[in-house]
Amino acid sequence: MMRNSRFLIAGLLLVLAACGGGGDSGGTPTSSTGTTGTGSTGTGGSTGTGTGSTPPPVTLSATDAQRLLEQATFGPTPSEVTRVAALGVAAYVTQQEAIPATGYTGFTYVPHTAPATCKSDPTAPTSAASICARDNYSLYQVQRQFFENALTAPDQLRQRVAFALSQIFVVSGVEIYEAYGMAAYQNMLLNDAFGNYRQLIEDVTLSPVMGRYLTMAQNAKADPSAGFEPNENYARELMQLFSIGLYELNPDGSQMLDANKNPLPTYTESVVQGFAATFTGWTYAPLAGASIDFGGAPINYQAPMVSVASYHDTTAKLLLNGALTPTGQTPEADLKVALDNVFNHPNVGPFIGKQLIQHLVTSNPSPAYVARVAAVFADNGSGVRGDLSAVVKAILSDVEARGDAPSSPDAGHLREPALYITTLLRELGAQSDGVYLRSQSSAMGQPVFSPPTVFNYYPPGYQLPGTTTLAPEFFIQTAATALARNNFVNQLVFNGGATPDPTVTASTGTTVNLNALLGSPVYSPDQLVNELNGLLMHGSLSSAAQAAIVTAVEAAPTSDPLGQVKAATYLLATSPQFQVEH
Amino acid sequence: MDRRHFLKHASALGAGAALGQLGALAARAQTAGDYKALVCIFMYGGNDGNNTIVPIDTTGYANYAAARPQIALAQATLLPLVDGTGSATLGMHPSLGAANGLQAMWNAKTLAIVTNVGTLVAPMTPTLYNTTNTPRPQSLFSHLDQQLQWQASISSAPSTTGWGGRLADQLASINAGSSIPSMISTVGNNLFVTGSATQALTIPTSGSFGLNGFGSSTGAVARLSALKALLGVDRGTDLLDAAQDVMTGAIQSSGVLNPILQATTSTVSSYFSALSSSIASQLLAVAKVIEARATLGASRQVFLVSLGSFDTHSDELNTQATLFGQMGPAVKAFHDAMAAIGAGSNVTSFTLSDFSRTYLANANGGTDHAWGSNHFVAGAAVKGGQFYGTWPTLQMGGPDDIGNAGRWVPTTAVDQYAATLASWFGVSGSSLAAVLPNLASFSPATVGFL
Repeated sequence: MMRNSRFLIAGLLLVLAACGGGGDSGGTPTSSTGTTGTGSTGTGGSTGTGTGSTPPPVTLSATDAQRLLEQATFGPTPSEVTRVAALGVAAYVTQQEAIPATGYTGFTYVPHTAPATCKSDPTAPTSAASICARDNYSLYQVQRQFFENALTAPDQLRQRVAFALSQIFVVSGVEIYEAYGMAAYQNMLLNDAFGNYRQLIEDVTLSPVMGRYLTMAQNAKADPSAGFEPNENYARELMQLFSIGLYELNPDGSQMLDANKNPLPTYTESVVQGFAATFTGWTYAPLAGASIDFGGAPINYQAPMVSVASYHDTTAKLLLNGALTPTGQTPEADLKVALDNVFNHPNVGPFIGKQLIQHLVTSNPSPAYVARVAAVFADNGSGVRGDLSAVVKAILSDVEARGDAPSSPDAGHLREPALYITTLLRELGAQSDGVYLRSQSSAMGQPVFSPPTVFNYYPPGYQLPGTTTLAPEFFIQTAATALARNNFVNQLVFNGGATPDPTVTASTGTTVNLNALLGSPVYSPDQLVNELNGLLMHGSLSSAAQAAIVTAVEAAPTSDPLGQVKAATYLLATSPQFQVEH
Repeated sequence: MDRRHFLKHASALGAGAALGQLGALAARAQTAGDYKALVCIFMYGGNDGNNTIVPIDTTGYANYAAARPQIALAQATLLPLVDGTGSATLGMHPSLGAANGLQAMWNAKTLAIVTNVGTLVAPMTPTLYNTTNTPRPQSLFSHLDQQLQWQASISSAPSTTGWGGRLADQLASINAGSSIPSMISTVGNNLFVTGSATQALTIPTSGSFGLNGFGSSTGAVARLSALKALLGVDRGTDLLDAAQDVMTGAIQSSGVLNPILQATTSTVSSYFSALSSSIASQLLAVAKVIEARATLGASRQVFLVSLGSFDTHSDELNTQATLFGQMGPAVKAFHDAMAAIGAGSNVTSFTLSDFSRTYLANANGGTDHAWGSNHFVAGAAVKGGQFYGTWPTLQMGGPDDIGNAGRWVPTTAVDQYAATLASWFGVSGSSLAAVLPNLASFSPATVGFL
């Protein structure tokens, strides 16, 4: 495509003009990943990745590289497009996976109930006490760091996969309002993003944050005299949402049907009760200097839950596929049996694989795509089941993900609010401390890490009304949230974004400098829209849409070229054509 | 992917549906004052009906307290519900409110309670459930599935429309004069308000509703024109069409509704002045829209509001008290406001929820997912101060329990509950059957509370 070369040139100019301000894996000084060779700084230096004895990389077209970065990061930048085009998918993914997590930092334990001195009064000048509640007892700082990391962290793929995992293994700020707890949970997902799924579900199961959210913490064996049974909450959602789903699946993600064309439930209420009893006897780790206290343990999100055998049900308990836990086992031994039982259910690959595809690439993967990814989940090629690194690589390498344009007209997905914001800002070279972005994402229907329930912001099976097209993100796309998207861009482009917040340390506000889009000599309206088309749309904007924008640009006074740039940027950034990644 | 031609947001502007059935109704709609609204209050998470309505007679309460020692409400706190017999054997959760809440509405006979309602495919008993293949709802005890089945009133298979949406489809012709969609949600997209030709508009409950940054300069006018042009080009794929249609509807409807929602001098506002909960804000927004009904021109409107966190697997006593403390006064304020604008008997609200919760508590002071539950219907048109449906035997392992944890098999189907509301709203005969396709499986078709 001719537009590719245009894009590359424009991209290089943009990067040079920005003086490395949008630095990615190369330019961020905090990455210090040392030996991994990802720090090939310099926008021109796409060679020298130290491939040694491995085969030469399979390069990508610039358009395809840009699409890959739309799928694998929080937004392509021109320098990364250039670099990744030369690198190819596999080497890019390998490089990214080697970068350690850029985590959530600066959070410390606080007791579940805030002390009376802890206020939320963020009017400057602040004191430790006046912003204590905002910074410790709400997700404010975690959400702010999420956007900082999304915009600048070198481990983009890890951040992106962890964000997807956070929408499958959901905990929510609706319940988990202590910032240090949510930070710990998200750090866990970042660290596990390329590990094994079996380890991930064990970490999730024993996470005190999940223990609190789905009430497995302090779940105890039945006590008829006291009138209670084991808590079914985590048992049910582990199966329904985190692993196998409600119905038996074929490897391609389609439902198995019985002779009467009815789907086959994966478990009965008896199995839920079996897992509920299996997951008894776990409580919060004791605080430093304290001893284990099952029912009286204060909420502690600093360490995995610990077991207390006397509260554990040691009878034989029913698991999936008729399996039983052996009698007399410890909480740990029962947990292992139960998680192995779930892990080895054939649904996991298609169930989790399809959702990861939906989050990264397309809402409507073909059954064959799901089957290819599920096959990698089942065996990474070395006989290992559940290798998430291999799964991610398979998703991004797949023929259905790659190419200059997808073959299906309804491939892709609506960019969810957080991704819409970050993609736009990274592509425009904007900067932000995340303060404004966290509130804007909420206004668009996605308060980060705070979905309404464990069913996330939107269900993976949501269909556009009147169609059979899956469109999860459209579940939160309404008149009110759609207007919020436009109004955010209006504020960013025309009203200077957001000023630094004096109550936030090192606040920089949110700003974008569009001078690089002026061109030298100044772009004609056609050229301007072409540049934006390359930058935001990997050159895919239709001629009809381009013409509409050009008409508006031409109506803006030529005496105000930046005004023309703003008009064009507003229109393309708010266009449904940009909001739906394709 | 096959895509049927689908009118989003524009339904009120003349999507023709079921014109034949509605001649008489359409004629009546021409007369001033023919207005009705249904307001669905969805209690997300599965409200524990067993701590919503509680036995207060000596034996009944003693059995209740013995069965739920971890989570029994104190007898003295329960609000007695004196019914047509002149005495009360059941009481209401105290946080639903005495003088400022639902007990006052009950006493004023503007609140009815329908007992042990739930999702069903066919009449069911514990014996049938445990020993036969009698058709039953798919994915019982799953939040999402049971929410969708309450919203669809179809439990035998996934549905692509909800019963509120199908009501709006049936009544499209008499809403032809409306300047906004006939269904409005403060909850976002939702199956309940999805029809085959009709979709709800989601309105905000705070802040401005509209497109910022467009003045009257030549540049701004051209930019708005281009924005709209971008909503009309590149048509033909489902995802892009949907994104375009949402914005088209947003621009259209927000222009009409923003002045109404922003109004601070409305009659209805004062009724909510002491309330700050989300459910109160949502019901205030609904009240403002209804207050403007003459301006907006709709004859039948369906609203959806919600409150969440009823999934009380732990700490049920505190959580449910908090939520009911928000809901009870908000519902009373809403209906007081409706009376004040002369729409008291034109507006009926009702509750839905995923399911009820186990009579047996769990280890965390909470309860787990169950089935049939108790629900509220409110408004001056309601034949209130009475119970409808069948009160279950509150005995674990007893005649209404499918097992031993107290999951009551519903004795009234969602279809019957919905049919009672739909009949009041103005659909009957084959139109009612189109709204509730499985209604014929249950008898009687309606429950009598309206």
